[in-house]
Amino acid sequence: MTKQLGFLHNSEKCVGCQGCEMACKNEYQTDATPRWRQVFQLREEDYSLPTRMFFSMACNHCANPECLRVCPVKAYTKREDGIVVHDHDRCIGCRLCLMACPYDRPQFNLDKKKVEKCNLCYQRIDKGEKPACVAACIPEALQLVEINDALDQKMGVLKTIPGLPGPDITHPAIRFIGPKQGKQIRRD
Amino acid sequence: MKLSRRQFIGGTAAAAAGAALFNFNLLTKSVTAADDSLEDLKTFRNVCPRNCYDTCGQISYVQNGILKKVEGDPKHGYTNGKLCLKGYTYTRRVYSPDRVKYPMKQTPRGSGNWTRISWDEAMDTIAKKILELKSRYGSTLPICFNKYSGNFGIVHYGAEGTMSSIGYTTRALGTPCWPAGIDAQTYDFGTLYSNDPEDMVNAKYLILWGQNAAWTAIHSLPFINKARERGAKLVVIDPVLTSTASKADLYIQINSSTDGALALGMARYILDNNWVDWDYARNNSVGFDEWVDYLKTNITLDWASEKTGVPQDIIREIAREYATTKPASMWVGYGMQRHINGGQNVRIIDALGVMTGNVGKSGGGVNYGHLETWGFNYNAMTNPAPKDSKGFIGPDGKEGDRNINMNNFAHDVMAQNDPPVKMLWLACRNPGSQDPDTNAIEKMFAAMEFVVTVDSFFNKTVQMSDIILPATTHFEDWDVMASYWHYWIGINQRAIDPMYESKSDVEIAMLLSEKMNALESGSCTFPTSGTPEEWVAKEFNPGIHSLLGISDYQELIEGPRKAKMTPASWADGKFRTPSKKIEIHSNLAEKNGLPALPVWVEDMKAPEKYPIRFFTPHPQHGLHSQFQNLDWMMTANPEPKVEIHPVLAAKYGISEGDKVKIYNDLGSIIIKAHLTRTTSPEVIVSYEAWYKDSNFNVNYTLKATPSDMGKQATGNDGVAFHDNFVMIEKA
Repeated sequence: MTKQLGFLHNSEKCVGCQGCEMACKNEYQTDATPRWRQVFQLREEDYSLPTRMFFSMACNHCANPECLRVCPVKAYTKREDGIVVHDHDRCIGCRLCLMACPYDRPQFNLDKKKVEKCNLCYQRIDKGEKPACVAACIPEALQLVEINDALDQKMGVLKTIPGLPGPDITHPAIRFIGPKQGKQIRRD
Repeated sequence: MKLSRRQFIGGTAAAAAGAALFNFNLLTKSVTAADDSLEDLKTFRNVCPRNCYDTCGQISYVQNGILKKVEGDPKHGYTNGKLCLKGYTYTRRVYSPDRVKYPMKQTPRGSGNWTRISWDEAMDTIAKKILELKSRYGSTLPICFNKYSGNFGIVHYGAEGTMSSIGYTTRALGTPCWPAGIDAQTYDFGTLYSNDPEDMVNAKYLILWGQNAAWTAIHSLPFINKARERGAKLVVIDPVLTSTASKADLYIQINSSTDGALALGMARYILDNNWVDWDYARNNSVGFDEWVDYLKTNITLDWASEKTGVPQDIIREIAREYATTKPASMWVGYGMQRHINGGQNVRIIDALGVMTGNVGKSGGGVNYGHLETWGFNYNAMTNPAPKDSKGFIGPDGKEGDRNINMNNFAHDVMAQNDPPVKMLWLACRNPGSQDPDTNAIEKMFAAMEFVVTVDSFFNKTVQMSDIILPATTHFEDWDVMASYWHYWIGINQRAIDPMYESKSDVEIAMLLSEKMNALESGSCTFPTSGTPEEWVAKEFNPGIHSLLGISDYQELIEGPRKAKMTPASWADGKFRTPSKKIEIHSNLAEKNGLPALPVWVEDMKAPEKYPIRFFTPHPQHGLHSQFQNLDWMMTANPEPKVEIHPVLAAKYGISEGDKVKIYNDLGSIIIKAHLTRTTSPEVIVSYEAWYKDSNFNVNYTLKATPSDMGKQATGNDGVAFHDNFVMIEKA
């Protein structure tokens, strides 16, 4: 592998609008229930003040992808740029990957009886375009980045946020910038 | 899978009505390849026509006659090539199996027993009913029309034209959304006229007053963020800690409906410290010194703090910062004026902008909305009544339509006696889920002889109708759209053929006209010819051309255009009031029974029996009753919730996920609880919406209480949607 592409999500900028989630669905015209990308709300109680805080997560294209390891039909491959691609044609819908992924990101399509997930818009990336979710993010909270030491040494870049499984299992290719809270004049 | 348009239509026509005719698999690409075939891919320009600040420029991608996806139009300088989550779901709206596909009749009304009928039968039934009512009552006044904001495309005013062309009718007049604030700015400045929102980048200080841009105008955020990168502070004042408020440098959880008291407190402190822009205020307004006297005599920080729940030091802080950090911009949201003193509160905020000289400045303004770019011909709406039509003699002695209050629709329809209302025609409107006092609406519908609704989905209003006429989506029509917030205008091309047997309001009007004239010559003046593109062409005039710098509407096919206006509204100081100045003292307001000055008017107090305020603001996943019913939205947001502060919840023994009954004298609803400290202990919040297969409707407890203003500019006062008081219990 020559590099590891991944996502940098900035909760300071994210307003939880779910534009990324719907832009993904629009790009691939996915069925109703699979959510290749999903916006999650951070728990109020994990931060000093209650605010509406979010992060957005698709497949994390892990350095050690558990989905790839457990797949009995080798439907998963990892590209040179780190993207974990799922081959829908090979998939037999056994759902082992669903159980293996700490982040619940492989999505089982009940109609097609197969798994599907974010392939990081590799066709767009190969053409020099941004992934659909990144291109659609209005507050520019979601970025495509190369995961490396330089990124991890930057101030404020986090490997995980409260509520997520620890990154040591699969080394997910996602980094976070945590929410920033302003001053609040409250009534409680 | 590849299907030609022709095969596709053949397939649908053969299937029975009501079945799920469209398989979304037609849209699904190979899961691993986003663009496995770009063959014959065509793009068209569209504009999202919803009742929304952003009115986005869109590009539709069409292959073999099928809408494959929708993206933002990069040539649109405000929406900048991106859509909101709703905008990205449009294929699911266009191809929803739940769409109304054909004209249908329901027998009996409300039974759910729908039968497909032909357009000819539908028009024949409707035309005969109109003519029968006209012959029975001697006029078409028993026919009542209600249209509002389901589609704000200019050609959609053909729905109004349908009514004008059959005679004088009863019309629901007004706007539920924003009239109190419109009147406030009409009294103060002559009309509503906001700065270009892109100009917010120039603000050095920003106050969003009851405005949740993250949900309702998300394309404004980059401009706000740009201003913040340049050092501007963002203050959000809102009883609810919204997604927007969560991003603020300073969030102020104000007591509901006391925004004017906060602005008065700020004004008093600005006065005491002489941060007043006396030159601007005195040169550009009338009555300013009279208001200054009022501040000196009546307003103290003690009082303002007591009223608003905002500590005095915070009032001092924002007053000083707002008055001394120039230019400072204020954005007044529509939520804060949905109170019995809402318009007055806007007038006070306007005065605050004037006293600090922030009006007429780039990076400033008291920004509410504008209609400066809406100068179209409204050709589709301007048809003369047929000869010898009998109308309603208005107070001015003129004969015309009989206007009733859109914001007290159920009551006003039932109150008509001479002649009574017997038939409803609804277009771009869903009072069944959006009007106050749903029980009253249901009773009123039940009392009608005949109800016709034009819509795309079997919503609550359709469920109470005799005939449903299938409406096209904007991808199936030509149109042109302006915004009430940004300064852009875009053309909307027909990207795909109308699905099933759907038609636009204008096409329906043409069909009806044909039928009525066949039954009774001269009974309808609506033209019977014109292609959709010809109809849109007729909306343009030299004024619009010059505003956009074009000589022909077709130039808009190359991209939307921004109106040539100064970034700051009122920069020329030519106010449109009777005195041509800002009227801090408004004789017009006084004449209309309101205070002449921007003085404090009391908010509505919670009755003892119903101590909790029930807020029902605009949702994130829909626009009123649109979008939330689509399958992607139902996945993203499967069910409604009511936000309750943990302290309040504990008082009533309510835990996370419990079902809560919310009730008052008018009605009740049951919603699942979500405990959160983003609201205050006195206010519960649930977002209005129409969910698929659900009777959820937030308006059962809402009285049709008028807000204080709206009559002057919009014909009727607004609705005090946020003065809704209830009791709760664990259900």
